[in-house]
Amino acid sequence: MKKIKLTVNKKEYMLEIKEDTRLIDLLRDVLGFTGVKEGCGEGECGACTVIMDGDIVNSCLVLAFQADGKEIITIEGVESEEEIHPIQQAFLDVGAVQCGFCTPGMILSAKALLDKNPSPTREEIRAAISGNLCRCTGYNKIVDAIERAALYLKRGK
Amino acid sequence: MRLNSIGKKIIRVDGLSKVKGKALYPQDIYMEGMLYGKTLRSSRPHAYINIDTSRAEKIDGVVKVFTYKDVPGKNCHGVLFKDHEVFCSERVRRVGDPIAFVVATNKKAVEEAIEVIDVNYEDIEAVFDPLEAMKEESVKIHGNSNIIYHYKLRKGDVEEAFKRCHVIVESEYKTPMVEHAFLQPEAGIAYTEDDGTIVVCASTQYPHFDQIEVAEALEVNKDKVKIINPAVGGAFGGREDITLQIHLAIAAKVTGRPVKAVYSREESFLAHSKRHSMIMRYKTGCNKDGKLLAMEAEIIGDTGAYASWAINVLRKAGVHATGPYEIPNVKVDSYAVYTNNPFAGAMRGFGATQVPIAHEQQMDMLSEKLNMDPVTFRLKNIFKKGSKTATGQVLEESVPIDRCIKEVADRIGITPLSERGGVV
Amino acid sequence: MGIREVYKGRNIDEVLELLDKYRNDCRIIAGGTDLVVHLRHKRLNPKVLVDISDIEELHGIKKEGEFIEIKGATTFTEIVKSNLVNKQLIGLKEAAKSVGSPQIRNRGTIGGNICNGSPAADIVPPLLALDSTVLLKSKNKEREISLEELFLDKGKVNLKENELLYSVKFKKINKNQVLSFSKLGLRKALAISRLCISVFLELDKSKECKRVKIADGALGKHGVRERKVEEFLLGKRLNEETIEEGAIILQEEISHRLQGRLSLPFKKEAVKGVFKSAISKALENLH
Repeated sequence: MKKIKLTVNKKEYMLEIKEDTRLIDLLRDVLGFTGVKEGCGEGECGACTVIMDGDIVNSCLVLAFQADGKEIITIEGVESEEEIHPIQQAFLDVGAVQCGFCTPGMILSAKALLDKNPSPTREEIRAAISGNLCRCTGYNKIVDAIERAALYLKRGK
Repeated sequence: MRLNSIGKKIIRVDGLSKVKGKALYPQDIYMEGMLYGKTLRSSRPHAYINIDTSRAEKIDGVVKVFTYKDVPGKNCHGVLFKDHEVFCSERVRRVGDPIAFVVATNKKAVEEAIEVIDVNYEDIEAVFDPLEAMKEESVKIHGNSNIIYHYKLRKGDVEEAFKRCHVIVESEYKTPMVEHAFLQPEAGIAYTEDDGTIVVCASTQYPHFDQIEVAEALEVNKDKVKIINPAVGGAFGGREDITLQIHLAIAAKVTGRPVKAVYSREESFLAHSKRHSMIMRYKTGCNKDGKLLAMEAEIIGDTGAYASWAINVLRKAGVHATGPYEIPNVKVDSYAVYTNNPFAGAMRGFGATQVPIAHEQQMDMLSEKLNMDPVTFRLKNIFKKGSKTATGQVLEESVPIDRCIKEVADRIGITPLSERGGVV
Repeated sequence: MGIREVYKGRNIDEVLELLDKYRNDCRIIAGGTDLVVHLRHKRLNPKVLVDISDIEELHGIKKEGEFIEIKGATTFTEIVKSNLVNKQLIGLKEAAKSVGSPQIRNRGTIGGNICNGSPAADIVPPLLALDSTVLLKSKNKEREISLEELFLDKGKVNLKENELLYSVKFKKINKNQVLSFSKLGLRKALAISRLCISVFLELDKSKECKRVKIADGALGKHGVRERKVEEFLLGKRLNEETIEEGAIILQEEISHRLQGRLSLPFKKEAVKGVFKSAISKALENLH
């Protein structure tokens, strides 16, 4: 067993983990953040995307011990206590959600983008979500939603 | 009349839980004291099998290894024919056929146990080409013939009509099998309620069919089985057949504990159906004005090791074989054929998706041979309000194909020659 | 996974010490984007893992005299963002940008891409075309060899069991030189190269090739320098004719190398287009 300390959604955890635990298993099975989805286990689909120290990563390809000392944000950490995040609102308003399995990863990829680039072009949005597969929407509505989210975020300021 | 929903922007009811990551898919459900299950699947396409689970049963943490012997009721299921076995008893018919289901207290024990189940395969000749499988002398997958369905459509007299044709094109088209790749791999959890009711919680397209099939396999009354369908992470037809529902139900019933299984992406590929690959042989002819006179098609759909919806799919392929065109003389024969390939079933379009590859290519080739632009050629022949299809259906409502074709032609920058005042 | 010990490396000495102690029982993990998949499929069975992804000293791109040095655990995202990877080095930037997805590029490292020895490693052809060397460190030793010498076979690199790839070095590129990259993948994102080509080019005043170095990926057991094509182009002007002839020589080379492979007919045809695209990208960025 290995002792690690990490912050997930602003809360600090001291944990003892098995050496071969993946970050996704730690987040889902141990900490209960089931908004992190596993679609392929190989980094192809991006459903397991989380933000680690500001950058998106595939949590199925990070071993939990590697996340020692890191700050993680999952979909559960995106909303505030009072309301959902403008990106979440935009996904709802535009109708960018169908089966919903890719949605948490998409929203986190969008967040990592908009945190750094508040006015992305559609091309930049497409590049930012190129590691997230969606099998339902055909992506256009997701790109629309992220564009809309950029507007919401600017208005909110 | 006041409409509350139609014409209005509605936010889907499950949208909020999905953007918050709170929507529960079966893999997100954790129960106290639950066991983990995993399926052992065939690595051979066609073989007699002998299974020895004794080494697996001895692994620390393993509660039970289920095989065909543990199915209390009928060891079969299937949406049309009951040709799937819950667990293969004597013979496997494709790579991926379920042979056993290991249930243990932890995932590691499950993984270890799967590896030490001894399956002795005695290979049988396999057939992967549907044309071979149709032959009398071919090895049979089930019963006496691999041809499980032959749909015949006859309208007019094609032989006579071809004689009158100015241009005839003849070609063969093949489309591949296609995987749905819905993003949420199959998962489920089953448990028993206090009154003995078996509850299976799984992403499915047919909870009501699942209820019947689980009940038959368990040999209990339907009202003793409850199917709960939580969030479904895409399906596209791929969740119409049973995958893990019965395995979980039996395991929960026998062990008395909740049992959960989550497929990997690889296992998901093996477990569910595919789009039917098709071989389509087309002969189409028209007169010198570009009016279609006759079409003859033979369509062979490979349904792999199991029938699933093959009959409906190949019927639909046959019905749609003409495409949206008025053709006075039509002869279609479509077949569904067993092979040892992955089984095919429902997938978006359900047989209507494959045939356009053929009929549209035929249209392009005919117009090319006639020296007519392909848009004009199509507009001459498409269904309109009042048209009669090859199966005799009169299209009485809206049939706006002309608008659609013109719009597409316009957007991709093709103006039909007829509208440019060119020679037609 | 039978992993017994895991270490989160804090500094290079600690890592080299662990490598020396555990040798073959031990694997280095950086981004994990390949390794974790191998572990999951039980293709690798290490007893000990040493993580180097957070060692400061193993990150970064900097000038060292007339060289540019990229540290082993530098991620593809870091390469794409670096100011040192400028317009002349467009091929290195494009290669880094073409790897996997944003998530993969945020974790995957130059060292990992090299040490996996994959024939399709995208970062390798540009580094080969730059005549790069690699600095390999072990507990009491270090050695520097050319990147080309590092590759032994498909998936096999000339790295001792206690050695770590510390950095990759190549000569700074002048204003009159350029490095280009062109890749054929089956889709825009997350595509493993079907083939890729990188071209280093310098023209003299009369527009003749003064220096030309060409390397490709997924056309052999590992990234390969195409010296016959280089020799042919050297001293020639790049025009439709010479480029076409160069492409034909390249086709002959890969026909020989990939003899008997099912992918040969496809790759033989495709390589022409990718080669021409790499050359024209080089010419575009030279002015």
